[in-house]
Amino acid sequence: MTDTRPDWYRRKRTREIATVVCFLLPALVLFFLYRILPLGWNLWLSFQAWSPLKPAQFIGLENYQEMLLDDDVFWQALGNTLIFIGCSPLAIAAALGIALLVNSDLKGAAIYRTIVFLSYPLMTVAVGIIWRWLYDERGGFINYVLRQAGFITEPLKFLQSFDMALPSVIVADFWQVLGFYMIILLTGLQSIPQHLYEAARVDGVPARARFLWITLPLLRPSIFLCLVVGILNSFTAFDLVYVMTNGGPGHATELLITLIYKAGFGQTRFDYAAALTVVQFLLLVVLTWVANRAAGGNAGSREG
Amino acid sequence: MVVICVLMLIPFYWVLKTSLTGENIYAYPPAIIPVDPHLFNYVDVWYMIPFPRYLLNSVIVTLMAVCGNLLFNTAAGYALTRDFPAKRWVVLLLLSCMLIPFQATIIPAYLITSWLGVLNTHLGIALPMLSTIICIFIFKASFEAVPRSLIDAARIDGLSEWRVMVRIMLPLSKPAIATNVILNSIWSWNAFMWPLIITRSPEMQTLPLGLARFLSVMENTTGALYAFVVLVLVPGLAIFLMAQKEFIQGLTSGATKG
Repeated sequence: MTDTRPDWYRRKRTREIATVVCFLLPALVLFFLYRILPLGWNLWLSFQAWSPLKPAQFIGLENYQEMLLDDDVFWQALGNTLIFIGCSPLAIAAALGIALLVNSDLKGAAIYRTIVFLSYPLMTVAVGIIWRWLYDERGGFINYVLRQAGFITEPLKFLQSFDMALPSVIVADFWQVLGFYMIILLTGLQSIPQHLYEAARVDGVPARARFLWITLPLLRPSIFLCLVVGILNSFTAFDLVYVMTNGGPGHATELLITLIYKAGFGQTRFDYAAALTVVQFLLLVVLTWVANRAAGGNAGSREG
Repeated sequence: MVVICVLMLIPFYWVLKTSLTGENIYAYPPAIIPVDPHLFNYVDVWYMIPFPRYLLNSVIVTLMAVCGNLLFNTAAGYALTRDFPAKRWVVLLLLSCMLIPFQATIIPAYLITSWLGVLNTHLGIALPMLSTIICIFIFKASFEAVPRSLIDAARIDGLSEWRVMVRIMLPLSKPAIATNVILNSIWSWNAFMWPLIITRSPEMQTLPLGLARFLSVMENTTGALYAFVVLVLVPGLAIFLMAQKEFIQGLTSGATKG
């Protein structure tokens, strides 16, 4: 089939497409270099024996074999990461409570919203230092309050204790992301049509049932989003863990991402770190899928 | 609600208090209101460590990231409003890229950066942050909201593609530009892991790295550390409080569209 459109049209069209390509190219090159290429390379690297100054060698699944069979630290880090992610529904539930309060006819709701959200745009490194200080056994606020209230007589070493270090880090993380969850849920709450509530009220549906049967189902997309943020958070928590405990004591607060950093840039074992990254990425994909199912099908595609 | 707010604010207060307190921050019981407040710690931070140097690095990287984002995101966002072959694939590609957390690619990203020869430079730190997919879509949405008739009228008047963009699209997209500047400046200001991997020499370190380094050198034995924390937090908080609306809108629109 020949193009019957006039010549000038085709020339114009070519020029238009050239413009589009020029405009898109920088961003696409950037994403290719820093998202797509690394992802593929990462997978490839994980099947190799790599060390600086030596040609890489294909070794198949040896890195994975070492990880799954011989590396206790890997299992601990995986467990910690799962605990870390598993706790995020608690934060989401708390955020939902706050969002409901802010959304009701409360005086000064905007101020409360600002205050709760205030910790989110903070530098995570600084958040880590702040919380280290709060947990401090001598000058820390938490120990001070607990001692004053008479719960304990000796100061607790939160971040040095094997049992308390991970929960302590998780609490600090909650403090930072709570505001973000709240904002997402608040946006979701505000998009629920008011007339549904009015209709329910006219029909005499009690408040608890209204919450269960109107608010929660319609909030599903927002809750799903919060879950995804919580899962991604296990990646971004690197800054916090690095500053607060650096994975210690022992490996009590080691997450996969800190382990990746240590293997890659501490021991220059890029191949092994790449294999760890593959595992964490798969974990991310699987958990996101599960969260999507839990939130009821294609919840993520609310706005397309 | 008041209780929750107080709980959320205590960490801020405690750090501020410590940064203002004098010699012995370990006195027990710790004072609730700083005794004899002074600013020695802040002076200390400025002179004892290369704080101005860190600040300069952070500012340079943040400026690069913001400029790069404005340039690339407006261009890409504009291109996406046009009709071209394989557009669906490009959009799909961008959406799927959004799901790849940057942290999941650090090992090859490091190798690529070293291959490009920009390890330990400002450009190297800023490079992966030069464009953000969420922001491309924010621009796309904003450009699509510009009435078609306006653009056609401009075309008929003989304005070139470029002029249409600069004269009509951009002035009408000020909120999108604001969101872009705010989100990206806060993100690059706070970035830690990537600069940690990329920089070798202390002269290239940005503020968060300086902060972590300061912590490891001094442990937490001085109030100066907390003065440092306060100094680092102030710019981010200031930007956030001034532009809260754009910040939240940007985050939620980006998030819900993901």
